[in-house]
Amino acid sequence: MGAALSKILRGGVLLSAALVLLGLVLTAVTADTSSPYGSTELSWILGCDPFLAPSHVLFLGFFALVATPVVCVSASIIVFLRERDIRFTLIASLVLVILLVSFYLGIG
Amino acid sequence: MFPQLYMVYAFIIALGSGVFGALLGLGGGVLLVPLLVFLLGVPIHLASGASIIAVVATSSAATVTYVKEGLTNIRLGMFLELATTIGAVSGAFLASLTSEWVLRVVFGISLLYATATMFLQQRRGERSRIRRRNDQLSEMLQLGGGYFDAALGVDVTYGVGRTPLTFAVSYLAGIVSGLLGIGGGGVKVPAMNLLSGVPMKAAVATSNFMVGVTAAASALVYMRNQCVNAFIAAPVVLGALIGAYAGARLTNRVRGAALKNLFIVVLTILAVRMILSGLGV
Repeated sequence: MGAALSKILRGGVLLSAALVLLGLVLTAVTADTSSPYGSTELSWILGCDPFLAPSHVLFLGFFALVATPVVCVSASIIVFLRERDIRFTLIASLVLVILLVSFYLGIG
Repeated sequence: MFPQLYMVYAFIIALGSGVFGALLGLGGGVLLVPLLVFLLGVPIHLASGASIIAVVATSSAATVTYVKEGLTNIRLGMFLELATTIGAVSGAFLASLTSEWVLRVVFGISLLYATATMFLQQRRGERSRIRRRNDQLSEMLQLGGGYFDAALGVDVTYGVGRTPLTFAVSYLAGIVSGLLGIGGGGVKVPAMNLLSGVPMKAAVATSNFMVGVTAAASALVYMRNQCVNAFIAAPVVLGALIGAYAGARLTNRVRGAALKNLFIVVLTILAVRMILSGLGV
């Protein structure tokens, strides 16, 4: 479990740091500070912006970051299942549900 | 002020908060938010929004190391997270409904609580008697844990006591985290260590793991409520990550006690200022 979590966490942080860095570079280069608050509409997040608006890239970075613990919890559910630990499979699943609810509440 | 310069300042503030947070084992958020508010004039909602994103980053990064060292009690953390995440979502929602001034006062009071805890900890020290046995609930869930303490060169095993109480306190930690945009580790660590008898190293490691999940829940609500300004949050996230990394590296070379006292003084001043500004003084 520990090894898997480490990898997920490290990967998530690096990915989001790269996206944030890219976004900041784009901001510096284009001086485009539009949409600072972004939008949590799924269509905006996943939409392909041909001109890569800096705020879009930045928010992608933030979402990657926030998704990381979610992936961790999901991975732990799988591990608990494999260990036949029904109680913790349930507990971790409940935590995931709460996270997804907050995601849903945060989307649109 | 040009947006770009603003962002550089935010980066520097986050860098400093990250370094001191890591050096002193306190989340950077409690220092970050007041500094953004007072030095850059950032509205507290946006400061908390930027901070909560940074907190996900720094706690996730720290957890990598802690998990590798076997200190993190994932079962305990996951169980307590039931309470914390619900608290976090509640708190984050509450934040969007609360005025700037009320949040400032609440933040200041929480900060005073944190400094009081730090101060008492300096004098009393951490709980040295490790709890051996689980209580009923933690026995049922097998929440006790163990790790190899590299510094002492021994295996440490512990049980978890007063589990229902710690569970309840974790809910409060979640609310605080969601409401103020901080990690909440300042509530979680004492709860696990002083209430449940979890050894300090394991408590800190487990708290870090929990904070990432809690902050992620809060962050989504913040983003939805337009409380995350990408151009403030982005430099803050990078600054906090680099600062925390640097601070962790410096930990062995810096004497803790004197720095901690200075930190307590600075935080107390910030806390009082927060409260006064919130009250319109």
